[in-house]
Amino acid sequence: MRRTLIAATVAALAVAVAACAPSTPGSGTGTTSNSGAADRLTIGTTADVVNYNPLVGNSRTDSWITNLMYPKLMQMDEAGKRIPYLATEWAYGKGGKTATLKLRDDMKWSDGKPVTAADVVYTIETVDKEKFGVVAGLITAFDKAKAVSPTEIEFTLTRPDGTFLDNIGFWMPIVPKHVFEKAPSVQKFANDSGWVSAGPYKLTKVERGQRYLMERVESFTPKPSVKEIVFRVFPDVNTEVLALRNGEVDVIGNVLPPATAATLKSDAKIKLQQIPSLGWAHLQYNTKRKPLDDVRVRQALAHAVDNEAIRKIALQGFAKSSNGSVLTPSQPGYADSTSKEYGFDPAKAKALLAEAGVTSPTFSMVYDQADPNIAKWAPMVRDSAKQAGITIKLQGLERNTYLAKTLKRDFDIYAGSWAVMDNPPANLGLAFKSGGFINYAQVEDPQLDKLIDKGQRALTPEAAKAPIQEAARIIHDKVYDNVLYVETFNIAHSAKWTNFKPMPSELLSIINPLSLAQVKPAG
Amino acid sequence: MRLRFIGTRLLRGAVTLWFAVTVTFFLVRLLPGDPVLAVADPNMTEELRAKLLADFGLDQPLPVQYGEYLLQLVQGNLGMSFRQSIPVTTVLMERLPWTLILTLSAMIATVVVGIPLGVLAATKAKGWVDRLIQVAGITAQSLFVPSVGVFLLYVFGVLLGWFPIGGAVDPDATGLAASLSMLHHLVLPCLSLVFIQLGGYVLTMRATLIEALGEDYVTLAKAKGVRPASVVWKHAVRNALLPTTTIAGLQLGALVGGAVLTETIYAYPGIGRAIFEAVGQLDFPVLQGAFVLLAAAVVAANLITDVAYGFLDPRVRTS
Amino acid sequence: MTLTAAEPTPRRRTWEAFRRNPLGTGSAAVLILLILVAVCAPLIAPFPEGYGTDTSQPPSGAHWFGTDDIGQDVFAQVVWGTRVSIMVGVSASILAIVIGLLVGVAAAYFRRLDTPLGVLIDLSLSLPVLPLMILVAALAGPSVRTLVVVIALFSWPEVARVVRSQALAIVPLPYVSAARVVGGSATWIIRKHLFPGVIPVVGVSVVLTTSRAVLAEAGLSFLGLGDPNSWSWGAILHKAQMSGSLASAWWTTLFPSFAILLLVVATTLLSVAYNDARNHRTR
Repeated sequence: MRRTLIAATVAALAVAVAACAPSTPGSGTGTTSNSGAADRLTIGTTADVVNYNPLVGNSRTDSWITNLMYPKLMQMDEAGKRIPYLATEWAYGKGGKTATLKLRDDMKWSDGKPVTAADVVYTIETVDKEKFGVVAGLITAFDKAKAVSPTEIEFTLTRPDGTFLDNIGFWMPIVPKHVFEKAPSVQKFANDSGWVSAGPYKLTKVERGQRYLMERVESFTPKPSVKEIVFRVFPDVNTEVLALRNGEVDVIGNVLPPATAATLKSDAKIKLQQIPSLGWAHLQYNTKRKPLDDVRVRQALAHAVDNEAIRKIALQGFAKSSNGSVLTPSQPGYADSTSKEYGFDPAKAKALLAEAGVTSPTFSMVYDQADPNIAKWAPMVRDSAKQAGITIKLQGLERNTYLAKTLKRDFDIYAGSWAVMDNPPANLGLAFKSGGFINYAQVEDPQLDKLIDKGQRALTPEAAKAPIQEAARIIHDKVYDNVLYVETFNIAHSAKWTNFKPMPSELLSIINPLSLAQVKPAG
Repeated sequence: MRLRFIGTRLLRGAVTLWFAVTVTFFLVRLLPGDPVLAVADPNMTEELRAKLLADFGLDQPLPVQYGEYLLQLVQGNLGMSFRQSIPVTTVLMERLPWTLILTLSAMIATVVVGIPLGVLAATKAKGWVDRLIQVAGITAQSLFVPSVGVFLLYVFGVLLGWFPIGGAVDPDATGLAASLSMLHHLVLPCLSLVFIQLGGYVLTMRATLIEALGEDYVTLAKAKGVRPASVVWKHAVRNALLPTTTIAGLQLGALVGGAVLTETIYAYPGIGRAIFEAVGQLDFPVLQGAFVLLAAAVVAANLITDVAYGFLDPRVRTS
Repeated sequence: MTLTAAEPTPRRRTWEAFRRNPLGTGSAAVLILLILVAVCAPLIAPFPEGYGTDTSQPPSGAHWFGTDDIGQDVFAQVVWGTRVSIMVGVSASILAIVIGLLVGVAAAYFRRLDTPLGVLIDLSLSLPVLPLMILVAALAGPSVRTLVVVIALFSWPEVARVVRSQALAIVPLPYVSAARVVGGSATWIIRKHLFPGVIPVVGVSVVLTTSRAVLAEAGLSFLGLGDPNSWSWGAILHKAQMSGSLASAWWTTLFPSFAILLLVVATTLLSVAYNDARNHRTR
């Protein structure tokens, strides 16, 4: 008797709190719940949105959601080639010091104002002025931009840069000038309510820690087939998989760990979509530290890694070899078939060490403990190095400490991966040119600098190919980077849905704007 | 007398709160992680970076930052989140109700189940029922929350499909349906928390009751011919409730700790998960705010226990 | 109290009472077994390293607890995990007990220190422990040493509280006062009279603190704040979680979880049985 009374009290309490819980919706958005799968696609994610400002936010969930709200100038096809989105045409002027862009004229911000050249000019000028986000590091050649007409922009560059248009096209979300310019500092503008957006979906409701509700923009062309997109927040991929299996989510946004992908393969209710990575996983050796400044020691280390085993065991075969080159198979236009991996050879590693006069060296290796793949192969690197008489001390760090260490270049060996390396001339510049922003190995090689510069000045990929391939060969021979593999991402979705349009990289995956605009219920 | 009693307790609560604030403030700042990383972009120019740091007060010496923080805190201002560019109070207030629902319901359920079990064990002391209850209580208490979480989710969520996977409520439900959906989502996480707390209640209740059953007044009551069951419930249980109340206060810490793991596993959008996320993002103001809130909750709970104690046991009030 | 202390065989009677309780002796046996496993780990299974071709295999004759997603033997991981988990638990607990003992005894013996130390203990008890541990461990970087220090740092107040209340009961006793009057130095009195008096309580505390430390270690490691260079039960669970196989490859989850459960249940039951046995004596 007493027990039921208390149970009733608990229930009453819960109801009472529910009534005043701020995140519990009132009458809802007018959509009928559970009225058939076609009306709503639920995507699982493992993190909340950190920042709704597309120019600042850079976590995965941030990108997935803001990608649907703020248009980019271009998007990317399966092969990594740029295709139109907001921009319809683009070209460099003579000599490569100017560039022009034409926009489509039928896109509107959600408050009814048209998306125009002025918004593009405002966005790039703001990024250039306040210098934040990925884009700032990519537009160092930018001088000024001018709206020639509401649909035409002309850029002036300080030097010829054949990577400029690709960079802004893929990386720079366009924000509404009339909204963002009111903020005293765009960098600090939270943009956390009353969104004015222009993508295929608009964000209508946020319940932090639970879900993000996005509604179709009826006027968007092509009109998205699904009425609502919901991002649901889960603590980790384990619960996401459980939720996918019992039908609570339709897509897992995050890339599946290889072992999970292997187990889900046989589930008839789940489909796996394979997506190439635009980046690569690698080891970098700090060339400013002794004895790593000796190329023979670096080569010895490269011979002491069993790449094949890492791909086969740690990645369960969901990885391609890049032949040891930074020009990966995801970049068919640049890839160099003559490149060869160092290959696991402890005896050779020992010989190289002896030649360099180094005996049983010890190195520390930093990596992000939260990266499931790297956390798995880091011990494999340590164990195989042992066979070559090399001791590697693992430092699997919490993410922020790891970032701080890499930023200060405070490590012997760095194990990590680049997520998106979409444009070799631009990326090699960031990663291997003297003083480059992500030049973790602290490479300073004048010959390499010259080649990369040459590649960046070239206005077409064809012209850039020769110097860039030459640069990649130097990077390989001098072991400025030891590329281990290019991952094949597995994205899981319910078999109830079909017609996704996969794009390379985890940021685009099958939940990019194009894909979500065309996805539809199966059968 | 009672006013003074409550006064000293309030003062103690305030001191505790200050202590928690101070400890966490310095802990957060003395550790090697660099908050500047959380706020500033490495691409930024020096001058912009300096300006941004100044905006967050991170350029000031520590004592000044500390003084400023206390000053703001007294006015109920917890600062701005580094990462989300919104007030910490907003961030936390979204989360607080969920943690309250979870922990309170777990506490109530534990008491409801734990006390009768403890009484049963005590009255059958040393028998097999007693041993069974002890072992069960201790086993439940010793379970590792994440393992239990996954197990329950897999069995009841996927295999049987009785309960939803994670989350706190079906956001589309309204009115009564919303409340039912909340209860529905609450069952598994609440159960996990009940598990880890149950042992404490059962064992304390059992131990104190065994002691109380040996006391003179119980023997007297028995001698006076009061029915045994009535002796246990009326005389002994009332006395045994006192130490159990204390346990409730003491266990709050464990409950909060358990809530972090539970909320993480069940995707329950409470404070515990907010803390874990804030650590990952080096979002000091949110972390700091969450700790203040937790400390305040513990203080409030202890205050309530103390007062309850005062009512249950008149000696406390007068001494 | 003085009377029982004067009796010849109180320890023996406790032992007799303890021995008659199957729960207590059973737990003691389990604990001894676990400690043996920890000590003899190298004799039982090779250190889990490298990788194997049999990935994610369920338990079989070749791999009693199955294999994980890089083909390592889960049995070996659990065996070596026992070593690290118990080591972290015991070291953290010893450290916590040393601090707790010193603070508790000092608070009880030195009148002037009692109020501030008592308040400090109370305050520390009210801190949200696990969240703070997460914070410190995350920021101080993962290593076994960090774990030990962090866990000890937040576990001592519990010990100090128990020690203080026990010591407070001893300080006013005639023989302690007498020693004071005779002019015995504080350290001498504490060593000779206070420590022996509080040791029985501390004995229980060691066991409980260790089990709590093992749970805390598991929690921190599970959240990814463990030491990547060593195996502990929490670390095994963390790896299973990272590979997304918590629910599918149940053997990677079940066995380490069961090991944690076994240790914590055994320690708790042991202390309960010990307390029961001691109470027997006073009644």
